[in-house]
Amino acid sequence: MTADLIVDPQIRFWVFLPIVVITFLVGILRHYIASLLSSQKKVEIQQFEDSQLILRARFLRENAKFIPKNSFLIRKHAFNKENEGYLMQKRPAVTPNMMTDPSMMTDMVKGNLTNVLPMIIIGGWINWMFSGFITTKVPFPLTLRFKPMLQRGIELSHLDASWVSSASWYFLNVFGLRSIYALVLGENNSADQSKQMQDQMSGAAMAMPNDPKVPFKAEWEALEIVDHQWVLTHIENTIMQSDN
Amino acid sequence: MANITSNLETLRIWRENNDRKSREIIEIWINNLVLNIQKLGKEKPQVLKQVCIAALDCYNMGIARKCIEELYRDFPKSLRVKKLEAMYLEAEEKYEDAIEILDGIIKHDETNSGARKRKIAILKAQNKNAEAIKELTDYLKIFMADFEGWQELSELYINEQDFSKAAFCVEELILHKPHNHLLHQRYADIKYTQGGLENIELARSYYCQALKLNPKNMRALYGLYLATTAITTSQKCSSQKKKEAQKLSEWVLEQIEQQYKDVSIDNVEKRLEALQIKN
Amino acid sequence: MSSKMKNGNNNAANVMAYNDSAIRNNLSVVEYCRTSMAALSGCTAGVLGLTGLYGAAFYIFAVTSLWIMILCKAGPSSFNKYFISRQALLTNGFFGQLFTYILCWTFIYGMVHVY
Repeated sequence: MTADLIVDPQIRFWVFLPIVVITFLVGILRHYIASLLSSQKKVEIQQFEDSQLILRARFLRENAKFIPKNSFLIRKHAFNKENEGYLMQKRPAVTPNMMTDPSMMTDMVKGNLTNVLPMIIIGGWINWMFSGFITTKVPFPLTLRFKPMLQRGIELSHLDASWVSSASWYFLNVFGLRSIYALVLGENNSADQSKQMQDQMSGAAMAMPNDPKVPFKAEWEALEIVDHQWVLTHIENTIMQSDN
Repeated sequence: MANITSNLETLRIWRENNDRKSREIIEIWINNLVLNIQKLGKEKPQVLKQVCIAALDCYNMGIARKCIEELYRDFPKSLRVKKLEAMYLEAEEKYEDAIEILDGIIKHDETNSGARKRKIAILKAQNKNAEAIKELTDYLKIFMADFEGWQELSELYINEQDFSKAAFCVEELILHKPHNHLLHQRYADIKYTQGGLENIELARSYYCQALKLNPKNMRALYGLYLATTAITTSQKCSSQKKKEAQKLSEWVLEQIEQQYKDVSIDNVEKRLEALQIKN
Repeated sequence: MSSKMKNGNNNAANVMAYNDSAIRNNLSVVEYCRTSMAALSGCTAGVLGLTGLYGAAFYIFAVTSLWIMILCKAGPSSFNKYFISRQALLTNGFFGQLFTYILCWTFIYGMVHVY
């Protein structure tokens, strides 16, 4: 491949490599800071009970075929009986109030401390420190559509799309190092920024489990339509045939 | 130093597999680790807990005491260490004190299932079966999906000879782990013990299921034989059903013989030898 | 490779019972292998200076050879003991690891060949 552009080798050691190293080390640091700051969440007993209830209902639904019909009906009745069934009971709606609950507040602050703050600081710093460099070239051809993605900070219309600017190289690293972290730190690490960004997006959905009515209703419906087929009906014959 | 790492490795494997090797653990502790407590590194709390429980298992109270003290020095407020202390008191049969500590833990953290379970275990150790059952049902009202809880409750009910309730618990266990042949066999055992034609037919089906999952389950083979014989001799049964049961019982006998044939004779002799008391 | 196995019951009725946690453990071990493979093959491609379609072909080659190696390790006949599906083992995470591969490839290629 003939290079149509000659890049100063100094860039390699003072821009290209430092960005990789910084992104990687920041990820590692985040992991340890997050595990340092993480507090054990105290689960409300009511919430715990609800989750166990749903778990048991799910087991019943999935494996109902292994117990006799009568036993299944007893359980279904216990879960779905009108007014008194486990899944029909009324729960006071729990709306966690952020201002009144100080533990929620500290959790939020800690989350921001490990998520948003480094993202802004490191990202901004890299943008400022290493702005305007062409760092590398991806070893495959790309269409012009990728230009704004890969060449952030460089507005040159005639530059080939496969060149990567420093800011974009940083973002590529942020998203691409995810599985490397899994390799180095083990699974369930908190070094991964991109995953946590997704979590924040779905932050609205995370408040849902506090209200048990919705999953209860879903489980109730699912249990209602289970058609009980006992798998052991003709087992005597099958087992005798299987060995002959 | 290399010795310690290899010892820690063994302990870790036992811990992960939930092996009950209390005597071996104590041996390792006495021979190698007790003088090097500070060198245990990151695993120190886990190892201390493991050794402590092993020591309680062997009734080696000195070692257990030492472990708990060591843990208290590091984590003075930890609920887990408190639970260990309660277990220590339990082993010394100071049940009242143990329950007091456990109540403290539960009050502090209502979702602490371990402490609640220990309380039930203490009641069981005191032979207060009825109270243990009551406590356990209360526990299961909250922790509905707790496999061990249901298992324990079924055993308690069997001790009380309350078979229909025990059967309910085992049904719950089957719902949790439908591929465990021992559970099906246990359910059949209970149903057979309950008696009555319907229950025995149910027992027959579940013995068959147990055999389907594990064809070498000897107890299920014998159980199936007993169940089918009971059906053939039953008065209320139609002749068609009797014929089927007859066929099944013949098949079972064949299977049992086959099983014993598979175990060769010298093998049996060796096993009998192992049973003899050596001087 | 993990030493844990599922407990299977190959009865004539073809009931296969899988131990859930063991299967999950096996899959996470494979996932680990795959990430390492993606990183290593990415570095190799970078050092070799592969570009364009050659790089993509190299990735496919690496994934397939890892798949074959796993199959050999598990044993061609006793494969069902450890994993549920053979195809899923090949295709799972194909694109997830692609990103790791591209990153390593670009990085090493940039280090060696661009400047």
